[in-house]
Amino acid sequence: MQNNELRARVQEQLAARVEACEGKLDVRVKDGDIVVLEGQVPEWRDVVDLGHQAAKVDGVRNVVNHLEIPDMAAYRKDYSQSLEAGLQKGVIADCDVVIVGAGISGCGIARELSKYDLDIVVVEKNLDVAEGATRANNGDIHPGHKAKPGTLKARLNVLGNEMYDRWAEELDFDLKRIGAISFAYDEDDLPKVQKIYDDGVANGVPGMELFSGEELKRREPGVKGEPLMAVLAPTMGVVEPYLVTIALAENAAENGVKFIFDAEVANVLIEDQRIAGVVTKQGIVRAKYLINAAGIYADDIAVMADDEFFTIHGRRGTILLLDKGIQGVLKGTLGSVPKAKNPDSKGGGAQTTVEGNILLGPSASEIPDKEDLGFNPEDLEYALGRGMDVVEGIQRRDVIAIFSGIRPADYTEDFIIEASRHVKGLIHCAAIQSPGLASAPAIAELVENILKAERAADGQPLERKASFNPIRKRKPEFRKLSREEQAKLIEENPKYGQIICRCEQITAGEILDCMDSLIPPRSIDAIKRRTRAGMGRCQGGFCQPRVVELLAEALQTDWCKINLKEAGSEVLLKNTREFTEEVQDA
Amino acid sequence: MRERNVDCVVIGGGPAGMAAAIELKKQGIEDVLLIERDVALGGILQQCIHDGFGVQRFGVRLSGGQYAQRFIDELEAVGVEYLLNTTVIEMTANKELYTISEADGMQCLRCKSIILAMGCRERTRNQVFVSGTRPAGVLTAGAVQRYINMEGYLPGKRAVILGSGDIGLIMARRMVFEDIEVEGVYELKASPGGLTRNIVQCLDDYQIPLHLSTTVVRVHGQRRLEGVTVAKVDENYRPIPGTERYIPCDLLVLSVGLIPENELSQQAEIEIDRITQGPTIDESYMTSLPGVFAAGNVCAVFDLVDYVSKTAEYAARGAAAYLKGQLDMNSEYVPVEAGDNVFYVIPQRVRKEAKNFTLPLYMRVTRPMEKASLMVNRGEAQLSKKRKNFVAPPEMLEVEVKVQELGEGEGYSVGLEEL
Repeated sequence: MQNNELRARVQEQLAARVEACEGKLDVRVKDGDIVVLEGQVPEWRDVVDLGHQAAKVDGVRNVVNHLEIPDMAAYRKDYSQSLEAGLQKGVIADCDVVIVGAGISGCGIARELSKYDLDIVVVEKNLDVAEGATRANNGDIHPGHKAKPGTLKARLNVLGNEMYDRWAEELDFDLKRIGAISFAYDEDDLPKVQKIYDDGVANGVPGMELFSGEELKRREPGVKGEPLMAVLAPTMGVVEPYLVTIALAENAAENGVKFIFDAEVANVLIEDQRIAGVVTKQGIVRAKYLINAAGIYADDIAVMADDEFFTIHGRRGTILLLDKGIQGVLKGTLGSVPKAKNPDSKGGGAQTTVEGNILLGPSASEIPDKEDLGFNPEDLEYALGRGMDVVEGIQRRDVIAIFSGIRPADYTEDFIIEASRHVKGLIHCAAIQSPGLASAPAIAELVENILKAERAADGQPLERKASFNPIRKRKPEFRKLSREEQAKLIEENPKYGQIICRCEQITAGEILDCMDSLIPPRSIDAIKRRTRAGMGRCQGGFCQPRVVELLAEALQTDWCKINLKEAGSEVLLKNTREFTEEVQDA
Repeated sequence: MRERNVDCVVIGGGPAGMAAAIELKKQGIEDVLLIERDVALGGILQQCIHDGFGVQRFGVRLSGGQYAQRFIDELEAVGVEYLLNTTVIEMTANKELYTISEADGMQCLRCKSIILAMGCRERTRNQVFVSGTRPAGVLTAGAVQRYINMEGYLPGKRAVILGSGDIGLIMARRMVFEDIEVEGVYELKASPGGLTRNIVQCLDDYQIPLHLSTTVVRVHGQRRLEGVTVAKVDENYRPIPGTERYIPCDLLVLSVGLIPENELSQQAEIEIDRITQGPTIDESYMTSLPGVFAAGNVCAVFDLVDYVSKTAEYAARGAAAYLKGQLDMNSEYVPVEAGDNVFYVIPQRVRKEAKNFTLPLYMRVTRPMEKASLMVNRGEAQLSKKRKNFVAPPEMLEVEVKVQELGEGEGYSVGLEEL
């Protein structure tokens, strides 16, 4: 198709929306049917709506959305400091493959590729793995019945879900298949239930089942009111997403992958139209292949590589975690179908987690600031409603934690997993929003296959290494053992006899053990994710000082240098018992 | 796993647990074991270096440590056996306790009776739904107290306090001493949450403003706290648009209430009162599980430690009577109803046939009254009438009723009448 024709069509179809918001829009079409939107609109909602509308125009492959709102400049990320720091430090590594981002996608890919004879480096801007979208979601291994049939998402979701059992077995993390139920209270909403069933069948989701409201009441006695019809996708699973990621990273590291943290990528090096490496805050990593798994900043990486063909917009979801005390009221995952059409979200719901807590949400709000993890009262009420409106016995006071995550979405609302059409050696793994966690094993396999093809084309077919070990073992989890096993564990290591976190019954042994890892925790939250210390109802009120003490000892540093999360989030500012030399002399 | 039979195990070595253990000995119960998870006895008193403890009991103002030490000394003198660094990880409905420690590993204690004295814990930011980000620099008042008093670290330079609970007020003054600027105390409700004496001694004396009907509506800052937004609220506690004010600060201290710690009670399926969030207890301070008694903040949150110690002694006398077979275990119960202006009262029930006993009642009122009569009735008959000069929700009321005769009527009631 001619670029001009496509441009005219996009302009025509967006005209009414632009007029409605009194904005100013310029449309360009780039090589490969990529539409570029430029101009000024009053609100962020306008930016997102126009992006979505443009993506729906026939013949558009993807949308680069440069539309601006008045305070847009504040939200643009400044890489200059990292760039300067990195260039000053010079080359710190030379490898075959550099993976940008240590979320579930980056770590999954790293672990998949670690079975080949390759030098792999993962660079991550945070201090730990799973710090972005991976950390703050429901932990759902979606069955794939809610993805739009025919999309890459639908295919990888169903495949990924099926592959999770092997991951759970090899990497030793908990996976519980709890099943997902969607249901309707109103006659008007019955077609939505039917559509979920039909889409599930079309996507190849195994075991889809339709049943009556009475049957639903029998299976989930906690459901409120009089439901009419329900649909079940039995393959729905739950995991703790950060534990999966830590397991992947530990196994990848065991198999030779190198991780560099606090290493924000500030530029991509290109030589002769092919990848030559990245400049990170920690220095230059030279590499022949780059895998862009940078989450909400994957579009910035594409720009750095001069291969911009999509834009990531952040969609924030707020999630509530409830006290374990009420865990009996729900068995699996339960959500009423959304009444008003909300294309951006699966609607959220109420579900149980691996540990038995109930979790509500997520909400879904489009936000211009990709770092704004704060939550609003509306998000909170929405998430609360998704539980309190459908399940008996949930009260506001049961909430013990509230957190938000930002899902990276492009405007086609599908995954982007492909080799660059312009830069050799560049593979994008971008826009991995929900169901990215469920799809992760399939995403890793797809990227593996793309790299395989690239390497073959470069005359260097990938070779497996004999030393690859797919097995990774978890450390003991005191609370899950029988009394006899616990007694034996304390005998072997008395540190397991010391409870640090009262709410979750986490011992000093577990905290010390988790620090003995190839991917060691470096913050209070990193310890929380690995052990659950601080994750209970008092939210660290009692155990935080003890965790600070143990962490400071392990890192051989001062308490005042211990971060709650990323660098610069110190909990304590001053030691009052540190005497100056004069005082000591006196 | 080691196993052991014990006549009475006291769970918790704070003011309630220590008083209970001492009283058990005084009642002639020899086989008493006290279990404490911390490195020392004293519970939260260890970090309370301010004074004001023991005025009722000892007639002097003691620091938390001094108050605790009096009990520790007596406990040693009467020879109570205690374990430190030991955590009860499970209580079963058969009164078995599983404990763990580095020194002794796992033990199973088969108990004839148990006194629950686990105390309480603080409500967190999430339980009061403060919106915004989750940076470092948002701590409960008790955690700030521990960092400053026990560990010797300062968590900020400029603080805002949300909630006017007693620990928050105490910490306002404490932070001033440590050269932390305290911008103000913000209280959602129209009246303060803490004791009047603490408002005067900790805020007024240091010119720290108390903003009533005002709350923190948003937390700002991604890594460390940068500031909070406060706003006035209407009578339904909803923020009033247009009253928002941004306050730069690097520490938000939460003093938004305490909750009895009853994880173990729930494991053993002991009945929990929805209002007090502690076990439902009878006039001998026994819970719904025969032989298990409750003392202090585990029953309901007290404001004075003196009362905590006293309830522990009631519970210990109850446990001793139970062990001696003097407690009527077959009687039906009649309720103690919270009447006019009483938010809750403990004990919540009394043995129907009980006579010749002391009924120690503790209650909180719903609204302040200048002058009032506190009346305790059984059916129509008035058992006690006491004049109270000022009652308010933050101040727990105590009344001890001697019940001589076997009364009539289906239950007891407690109410206040404004004079």
